[in-house]
Amino acid sequence: MSWITDEMRGIVGKVMREAVSHPIALSDIRKWAMAVYWPEPLPRQYWDEDYAAQFGGIVAPEDFNPFAWMAAKPTPDDPPVSMSAFRESELGVETPDYKAILLTEIRARHGAPMRPGDVIRCVWKISDYMEREGRMGLMLYTTLS
Amino acid sequence: MGDPRTLAVGDEIPAFSREGTVHHWNRFAAVNYEFAGHHWDDDVARHEGFPAPFAMAPLLHAYLHAMLRQWAGPSARIAAVGIRLRSPFLKGCSMTAGGRITAVRTKAGETVAELELWMDDDTGARLSTGTATVAFPS
Repeated sequence: MSWITDEMRGIVGKVMREAVSHPIALSDIRKWAMAVYWPEPLPRQYWDEDYAAQFGGIVAPEDFNPFAWMAAKPTPDDPPVSMSAFRESELGVETPDYKAILLTEIRARHGAPMRPGDVIRCVWKISDYMEREGRMGLMLYTTLS
Repeated sequence: MGDPRTLAVGDEIPAFSREGTVHHWNRFAAVNYEFAGHHWDDDVARHEGFPAPFAMAPLLHAYLHAMLRQWAGPSARIAAVGIRLRSPFLKGCSMTAGGRITAVRTKAGETVAELELWMDDDTGARLSTGTATVAFPS
């Protein structure tokens, strides 16, 4: 038994989604930092423009997701996909009938900081599939890059 | 706060702790549009084979960034952070993250520290491991 079909192997390396964010809002940065640091107060550099000026102005935390809730592209009706989940069906391939999807590893390299007003473009590809027996049976590991 | 003049291999950075509650996770769900049932619904978590709801991976990744930022200060540059999740951070547990410097070098006017990172819960289970690169203006 294998989760990986020939159709799935055929989409490795192909662009599955390209997204363009709306301009980053200062309030989105504040809310993100509040959520991550709660119950501690959010650090001053994420809300106090006068204080942040000594560091070049307010920037988003490196972990900030500019695509949450809604992007400029894709629009909510084109295609009808979640911005927080990935499925092979976005490339016209049948999605495996799995019980759950879990994120098991994140490797982030940060370049220029994200600032209020910035528009971020992101391209996702499936770069690898592998399988391994786990606690819940045969598990499919999909690497996105 | 990390001082680039005194960074040394083997130094540990201040720990970062959080409780595993939906009060914490709901806030992150709200900003990251992350509403999968296994993060808040006991029945969904059990159906998927987990004893309880568990924290979102991007939130744990964000916690590592917060720990590094609190240590390094606002002028440092967090250049890379990786996390590998080994066990779920379950509702009702508490989590403590830590980090240790594994290398220090000077490059292009910056003092760059490499770190190994980890997260454990209050039962002693290792929830995740990771690495980070943090650059300080020299």
